[in-house]
Amino acid sequence: MLLNKIIKMKHRFCLYVGLCLLMFSTAVNAQKKADSLVSGMYHNIPVHQFLLQLETQTGYRFYYDTLIFDSVKVDLSVKSLPLLNVLDLAFKNTAISYSADNQKNIFITKGLAVQSTLPQGFFVSGKGNSKDTLFVKGVNYLGDTSGKSQNATQENKLYVIGEENITNAPGGITVAGYVRDAKTGEPVIGASVYIENPRIGVFTDQYGYYSITLPKGRNTLYIQSIGMYDTKRQILVKGSGKMNIETQQEVMTLKRVIVSAEKASNVKGLQMGVQKIDIKSIKQVPVAFGEADILKVVLTLPGVKSVGEASTGLNVRGGSADQNLILFNDATIYNPSHFFGMFSAFNPEVVKDVELYKASVPAKYGGRLSSVLEINSREGNKKNISGTAGIGLLTSRINIEGPLIKDKSSFIIGGRTTYANWLLNLLPDEYKNSKAGFYDLNLNINHQIDKKSSIYLTAYMSSDRFNLNSDTVYKYGNQNLSLKYKHLFNNKIYMLVTAGYDHYDYDISSSRNPIYAYSLGFDINQGYFKTHFNYYLSSKHTLEFGLNSIYYKLHPGNYKPMGKESLVVNDIMQPEQALESALYLSDKYNITDALSVEGGLRYSMFNSFGPASINNYRPGVPKTEDNIISTTQYDKGKIMKTYHGPEIRLSARYALSSELSLKAAYNTQRQYIHVLSNTSAMAPTDIWKLSDPNIKPQFGDQVSLGLYKNFKSNTIETSVEVYYKRIKDYLDYKSGAILILNHHIETDVISTKGKAYGVELLVKKLTGKLNGWLSYTYSRTLLKMDDPNAGEIINKGMYYPANYDKPHDFTVIGNYKFSHRFSISVNTTYSTGRPITLPIGKFYYAGAERTLYADRNANRIPDYFRTDFSMNIEGNHKVHQKTHNSFSIGVYNMLGRKNPYSVYYVSENGIVNGYKLSIFGSPIPFINYNIRF
Amino acid sequence: MKILLCFSFLLIISIGCKEVYNAPIVSPDTGYLVVEGFINSGQGPTSVTLTRTTKLYNAGNIIYEHNAQVTVEGESNESFPLYEFGNGVYQSQPLSLNNAEKYRIHIKTTDGKEYVSDFTPVKATPDIDSISWKRENGGVQLYINTHDPQNNTRYYQWKYEQTWEYHSTYFNSLKYTYDPSTQEITGVDYKYPDAHVDTSIFKCWKTVNSTSITIASSEKLNQDLIYLPLVYIEPATETLSILYSINLRQYALSQQAYQFYQKIKKNTEQLGSVFDPQPSDLQGNIHCTTNPTEIVVGFVEVTQEKIQRIFISNSQVPDWNYRPGCYIAEVDNNKDSIAIHATGLVPGTPSKVTPFGTVAVFYASEERCIDCTKRGTNVKPDFWP
Repeated sequence: MLLNKIIKMKHRFCLYVGLCLLMFSTAVNAQKKADSLVSGMYHNIPVHQFLLQLETQTGYRFYYDTLIFDSVKVDLSVKSLPLLNVLDLAFKNTAISYSADNQKNIFITKGLAVQSTLPQGFFVSGKGNSKDTLFVKGVNYLGDTSGKSQNATQENKLYVIGEENITNAPGGITVAGYVRDAKTGEPVIGASVYIENPRIGVFTDQYGYYSITLPKGRNTLYIQSIGMYDTKRQILVKGSGKMNIETQQEVMTLKRVIVSAEKASNVKGLQMGVQKIDIKSIKQVPVAFGEADILKVVLTLPGVKSVGEASTGLNVRGGSADQNLILFNDATIYNPSHFFGMFSAFNPEVVKDVELYKASVPAKYGGRLSSVLEINSREGNKKNISGTAGIGLLTSRINIEGPLIKDKSSFIIGGRTTYANWLLNLLPDEYKNSKAGFYDLNLNINHQIDKKSSIYLTAYMSSDRFNLNSDTVYKYGNQNLSLKYKHLFNNKIYMLVTAGYDHYDYDISSSRNPIYAYSLGFDINQGYFKTHFNYYLSSKHTLEFGLNSIYYKLHPGNYKPMGKESLVVNDIMQPEQALESALYLSDKYNITDALSVEGGLRYSMFNSFGPASINNYRPGVPKTEDNIISTTQYDKGKIMKTYHGPEIRLSARYALSSELSLKAAYNTQRQYIHVLSNTSAMAPTDIWKLSDPNIKPQFGDQVSLGLYKNFKSNTIETSVEVYYKRIKDYLDYKSGAILILNHHIETDVISTKGKAYGVELLVKKLTGKLNGWLSYTYSRTLLKMDDPNAGEIINKGMYYPANYDKPHDFTVIGNYKFSHRFSISVNTTYSTGRPITLPIGKFYYAGAERTLYADRNANRIPDYFRTDFSMNIEGNHKVHQKTHNSFSIGVYNMLGRKNPYSVYYVSENGIVNGYKLSIFGSPIPFINYNIRF
Repeated sequence: MKILLCFSFLLIISIGCKEVYNAPIVSPDTGYLVVEGFINSGQGPTSVTLTRTTKLYNAGNIIYEHNAQVTVEGESNESFPLYEFGNGVYQSQPLSLNNAEKYRIHIKTTDGKEYVSDFTPVKATPDIDSISWKRENGGVQLYINTHDPQNNTRYYQWKYEQTWEYHSTYFNSLKYTYDPSTQEITGVDYKYPDAHVDTSIFKCWKTVNSTSITIASSEKLNQDLIYLPLVYIEPATETLSILYSINLRQYALSQQAYQFYQKIKKNTEQLGSVFDPQPSDLQGNIHCTTNPTEIVVGFVEVTQEKIQRIFISNSQVPDWNYRPGCYIAEVDNNKDSIAIHATGLVPGTPSKVTPFGTVAVFYASEERCIDCTKRGTNVKPDFWP
């Protein structure tokens, strides 16, 4: 505690030094303590050159204003004289005076000298210990060995890092530490930490941790991050050391909408096809019902599509909805939506930012073909208790955060619930007895055990329940728990160990017909263990390696009677078990300033376990019930099938200039868990299925190329990316497939091939009154099923468009800030209509006209076009008031266009009628009230 | 497996909206053969209807397949011919089939193509236990009750016809008189010299056939028992204003046939929700032997028909409160008054009669309230009590 106090005092002290510089007018204070001896001949050289030479000889630092020495030259010859004597000689007969402290700093001024120590008794507790009090932080020589770190808070102060006399390991000097928000103590993620000459830069990771290799000597370290004031630190690097940096939040939160966290990171970063959005940007995009919705905003990014409104399933670069790994902190979320996709299941108050990897997926992630969507939650305020609350038309939410131990541990707890029942009451009589509800809860705790170790706990739970017309009760939910331990071994290596448990289940029950009253349950359970190491080997190499393991246990269907009268027979599908493991290593190699490559190898292995009975099919013929030749019983724990193989992750960047770069990437992925679905949208009843001896894993690879150019000092980012992707063994269903409670599911699905390609254009403007982004995507996704052994050939074995194949997609998100308290946002989207299977004819059967279908997805629904509008009104910005209020008011689908979700033909009273169904066919106004405390 | 997802998603539809839309698609001339019917192993003839698929927006009539040679064939080379009865309906004499043998249908069309169904075994259909009903939400819900004591039917299909008696709201004894040259209405007069009421348009019957596919299975139950909602009669409707009857026909199906009907049902009746299964092509058990890739629609099996009929009378449903929604106008019997006040109406009975016995003022109403034959028949069905 005492140390803390001193540090605080030091902060204040620096300020006083500044004052001293200006105000004190005392005589030359030649403290003849400096004992370095100087030798040399200086003939008519400018003062600054002279001082530079002295610096190199003595290790002293000189502080001066070059202007005052414009006309002054030094003509001097000395031999083994103490430094201060040399200065005395040099500045004899000039108005130049100097002042030295005992930290080897010398301040040179014209006319008046700087007082480098304070008068005795300036602080009551200071005791005039000048050795400690002046710039003491700047000279806390801290090397790797000491384990302590300094907090650098001043921009213009020189911080000395490392001890000179410690010989540093080859590979350069590493400076590492955390970048934190000065106000809340939360880590600043994705901040760019760099020096300009030579250009060396890194980004802080999700813990705000950075590690940068710097040349010896004096450097200016720049720190830039979203929502934070740009800042810099003057550092004198002598050896490896630690430095924590606190940055100030920009007070005017309305000032910016920044899509990408890092200015210029799209040009400088190595990764391709990565999009990051922070919650502030998310909150400004208008959505139906007004509540900030993470997934709906992700959908506005290039390359991301969905089948339609009211479906949260994402289709990333031609992948199906189950090919996305959705990670909330480290937990896998199997159903990321509430209310059948009307809301996403993440509380916007708890989320910090969202990162989507479309092309170069880091080697630490795997198991899904298309993308990784990483949702990071906030850590919670480490300094004060605070919170936010929001009220909307359908949902309300609250979150509270604060320190558990000040500056060491914090918590954040958030909750959200709906009161949508009033909406249901507006529905026709037959739904009068309906009830719908959902909630989600978040709890995050983090604790810094010591300087080197931290621990993070994440708990998440979501639940949905529907009772429509007191008939079919429908429930689903996610439950996730993870515990993560982070340990810094030294500046260069840190380790993350994570263990957790994810659970997803759904349950449908109906008691309307007592004879058939049933409940159907489904669940996925997975326990996982991950270790990850990050090794900043040198300025040229950063290694990441680790091991992941996931143990799956699925209950694919429990069908049970409900009530005494029910005659339903228990139908319990055999559980599925498997272990998915992966070992990975990646190296980020900066070959030159301009060229860097990242190579990653992930070796994944999947073991499918008993107990289970597996059907064996006659080889070379379609898998049908008739072709079952035998059934093998596997005992508990017995490995039934092992799939394994390498996954390659390569990316390269070549910087053509500081604002223009070219990137390329190649990625391969394997996926061992699949969704079986025959609906266009991702339905909540979709079942997940593990690979087993009869169901092969999916395999995909993607090559992509991109050009990135920034304009106007990185405030406008543009990019063009092209990609080509192949998918193998993607599971499609046979016509009329039965997917639920099917004990031989392999007979109803088929393996298809797919290919996807496209161009994505993005223009983002990050700052200014007008900001936002504009994206255009041209893409195609085509599937093909031509294996005659699969029994059924779809569309004659030709390529056919996938459900989410929408070639043209154009989105504009624009914000205009009239003042700090008032801004408007407009969101416009256009896309080609999705493919749909329409009838090719009709016939008369069973008393009615009926439609005849042939080729899949041969037609399209009409194009989609929508414009949304919202206004954000903030209360006053006085910093010291108990609560801060804000409103958002807007209209979703402002033009009221009846955008079709589907077109279908149905036989009604004997006649075929065609209909167009719109989900939000009229303007939907919304209002949200938010309060911060 | 029936999960009533559509229930849940109707909610979303209600927020959204649905409008009539005909996609601008050019559908090919398909003209594939459609075969509907079953080989009757019980009493009664075997009847098969042959039609052709048409363009989606073909507003025309059903295209029937005429002059085909249709036979029922047994595995042991027996053959029973069917003869065309018109309208694509081909019928045989009642067949005496061997329950241990398998049969199929064989069709040869006039274009020389031959079609056969797969051989299927003879299925026995259990009797219908009962058609029960109860009042639900003011209306009447009818249920099918059936079971197979041997527990081996499992898959069922039903077809039904509903018939009900109804009466016109108002009596009729008048008719319009017309100017012979201009055909303009000149006034009203009695239909019959003795001014009696025209009973032929007062009492009518209406019959509707099932237009949806009704199937059920007991595969998930521990007994082969069916308790299935059949028809719901909306409260206060004409259907039960006098007397109502339903004739239910039950057929045992194979699992394959059940799946075929379920596919048709999903494709053609259960679309329109957010999470629809996608429509799929339809593969029955009939194949074209001359061109194996040709699409043929239909599933023909050997089964029996079991029939049951029940009646429900208005007196069994208290507080039915049928309101026909008819109104009556009093119109002076002159040309001008009729033109102003009786446009679109037809005359009912006199309201005021002159001392000479002619009509001075008459009641008029919509035709549907006076002439029941406009939406039914006045011919009493044979089974009507």
